[in-house]
Amino acid sequence: MKNINLNALKPAALSIVSILFSLITGGIILLIIGKDPLHYFSLLFARGLGTSLGVTETIIKMAPLMIISAGLLSCFSAGLWNIGVEGQFLIGAMLTGWAAPMLSAALPYPIYLIAVLLLGITGGMVWILIPAVLKARADLNEIITTLMMSWVAINLVTWLVKGPINDLATVPAQTKLIPLIYRMPPIPFTRIHIGLIIGLISLLATHWMIKRTTLGYQFRVMLANKKAARHAGMNVARLTVYGLLISGGFAGLAGACDVLAIKGLFQGNWNPQYGMTAIPLVFLARLNGWAVIPLSFFFSFLAVGGEFVARDLDVPAFFVHVLEGMTLLFFAASEYFEK
Amino acid sequence: MKNKLLIKMIGITKSFTGVVANDDVDFDLHAAEIHSLLGENGAGKTTLMNILAGMYQPDKGTIIAGAQTVQIRSPRDSLKLGIGMVYQHFTLIPNLTVLENLMLGFEGGLFLDLKKAERKLNQISVAYGLSIDPHRMIRELSVAERQRTEILKILYHDSDVLILDEPASVLAPVEAEALYHTLTLLRDAGKSVILITHNLNEALAVSDRITIMKSGRKAAELSGGMLAAMGASAASDKILGLMFGAIPATAPPEVAPVLEDDPLLELKDVAVLNDRGQIGLKHISFGIRKGEIVGITGVSGEDQRLLAEIIGGQKRASAGSLLYCGRDITRLDIASRFELGISHITADRINEGCVLDMALSENSILQSYYRPPFSRYGILNQSRIKSFTDDLIRRFGIRAIGPDAPVRTLSGGNIQKLLLARGLSGRPGLIICNSPTYGLDAKTVRFIQDLLKEESRRGTAVLLITADLDELFSCSNRIGVLFNGEIVGLMDRCHVTAEKVAKLMLGLS
Repeated sequence: MKNINLNALKPAALSIVSILFSLITGGIILLIIGKDPLHYFSLLFARGLGTSLGVTETIIKMAPLMIISAGLLSCFSAGLWNIGVEGQFLIGAMLTGWAAPMLSAALPYPIYLIAVLLLGITGGMVWILIPAVLKARADLNEIITTLMMSWVAINLVTWLVKGPINDLATVPAQTKLIPLIYRMPPIPFTRIHIGLIIGLISLLATHWMIKRTTLGYQFRVMLANKKAARHAGMNVARLTVYGLLISGGFAGLAGACDVLAIKGLFQGNWNPQYGMTAIPLVFLARLNGWAVIPLSFFFSFLAVGGEFVARDLDVPAFFVHVLEGMTLLFFAASEYFEK
Repeated sequence: MKNKLLIKMIGITKSFTGVVANDDVDFDLHAAEIHSLLGENGAGKTTLMNILAGMYQPDKGTIIAGAQTVQIRSPRDSLKLGIGMVYQHFTLIPNLTVLENLMLGFEGGLFLDLKKAERKLNQISVAYGLSIDPHRMIRELSVAERQRTEILKILYHDSDVLILDEPASVLAPVEAEALYHTLTLLRDAGKSVILITHNLNEALAVSDRITIMKSGRKAAELSGGMLAAMGASAASDKILGLMFGAIPATAPPEVAPVLEDDPLLELKDVAVLNDRGQIGLKHISFGIRKGEIVGITGVSGEDQRLLAEIIGGQKRASAGSLLYCGRDITRLDIASRFELGISHITADRINEGCVLDMALSENSILQSYYRPPFSRYGILNQSRIKSFTDDLIRRFGIRAIGPDAPVRTLSGGNIQKLLLARGLSGRPGLIICNSPTYGLDAKTVRFIQDLLKEESRRGTAVLLITADLDELFSCSNRIGVLFNGEIVGLMDRCHVTAEKVAKLMLGLS
């Protein structure tokens, strides 16, 4: 182990450099719109990492990012591009919000918890099933179909929550509130719910699956050379469905966790758009599960810090999306220069 | 009459990963001539013309057009020099009309002057016998009509040089006649035509000049006048010799007699469709016995690939049946056939046979990853895979840094060795080897041929598909020839001469 070769560190260096470049460019943009970039960034770090509230919030927000990333890892490693994470997330969240209050009355707590999480997973899987089958059968571009299904999901859940699954006792369009005792339990002695642990386990399990199992092996062959996979007799159609179902399932699980742990109900206009963050994140991590952990911490810190600072400095919280987007741009550019 | 020299290619060399496609090739094209580029599949004809058409850049060599040296960096540069190429796979846009396709990249102003374009198209159609309705959509046209449109497109751009890649391969005989007529009209109007073909009769019928290529090198250039003076059969004999090299007169008695046995694999009247949905192979019936090497040759790479794939399972038979060990395997998929002991080593070792960006170790289990000891309950056993790969590297003399090196770092010969090592390691009952030594150096060729012979002595049945007659004759117990999708003649090694095989390959009897 003496010669941990520098080549292995190069990918990490490239990701860090792209993040730095995006922060610098972000600073220039702030200058242009008349804000003090140093003030912005120092406040960003102070609010996001300098207070225990900031750190806790950041860590809590890591859970959905890590769970979604686990799913994206497996489908991206197979060369399948699920861009519609948002839709699968919302369907999982909606099903959880609708079913949890009913199930909580009928089942003992541990079974209830598992049942609800499984329901979220199923929701995400069902939502990606159509794009998966179309891709496997007719080679229809999954980038387009998953994205379109996302829009359908956004509108479907909005409609459902206004009508069929609406809690008529409340004014806003939302499902029944899940009683506090039926929420996701926290990690002992903290305010952080166990979604974080689910996220870590999902991520490392997926990483292991991709590197060490025959399924992951087939995924990687498919990504690197689909022709060779077919020639060797791998069932590319079936692998396509598996890869996409896994990613949809994790997105649904993330939705279930967020509703169970944080929201306590499902609202029609609620859409945290984690997919927008998780997709660049997984690329930046170069499909490495371990690298997703620090990156999801960073992105989650950006989101939390950005929201706090928005109130102080009148820089919209969207600005962190600009930073995220630019990180990906610089990353793509760095890959080009690497060649 | 001496025509003006139009294009001169000097010392063109081009290699791809592990294969030298063109090696120091010269090529001259004169004004107003039909110049055939003749050679077997893989001789480097298409590569040479792709260089002229701007699809590839040569590694070395010069191209002179008119009086000056030119750099052809893209098809656009080539078009500017008046050179246009019709590919085997057409490049027209299906949802546009003939006329709109012709005008693509040629519109000039903001508005399309359809009237003017149509007048020009009509003039060209009439002059060269290329009748077509300019307002029909490409997707409604037959293959012959699409080809006509491709030619019209080049003429519409006022090109003087047309390159046609195996144009007759997609045409019915009558349509081919019409095409040849058009080519003569073009020549008489002062245009030059380069005809890439592996069909000797076609080349003899229309050419003013024939350049023969063999294994990436130019073997000879013959003028049409000279060939006409020789007479048809003498001319084809001469060309045969040039295409296939010195033909051994008698059989070297190197091959062991075949065990009389029931065939291990039997094909019964098998037919298969090609990628375009046309009949690719038909009436294929033969068997392979344990311990024999059946050699199959032919000029068409596609037919050879189809034959290998129908047995390996990559293609399904559209008619007929396949029996392996007496069991019907016609409907079995690739993995089940592999499980029964059928190992298919593809001719496309770079794109299909391996995963260039993965390690040797991961490539060595490409088909057997699901079996112990490589995996158990779906979990890979890394150390066993590595030691297995180490063993392959040692036993087959694969030159690689180690099992963790990406296959991309290997030479073509070593990639082929890896494919063979992998294919043989599972102790298959039948090996299908398609062009196993194509593009490799003499030492590796020898190594691979010895390996196959040794394998057959052990009782393995081998189907050796090759375009190399030396290889065919030195390895096979029986020899068959594919022509036009059928096996014409399957003969015992001792009853056949190379000359006969060469003639069958070209459809001469």
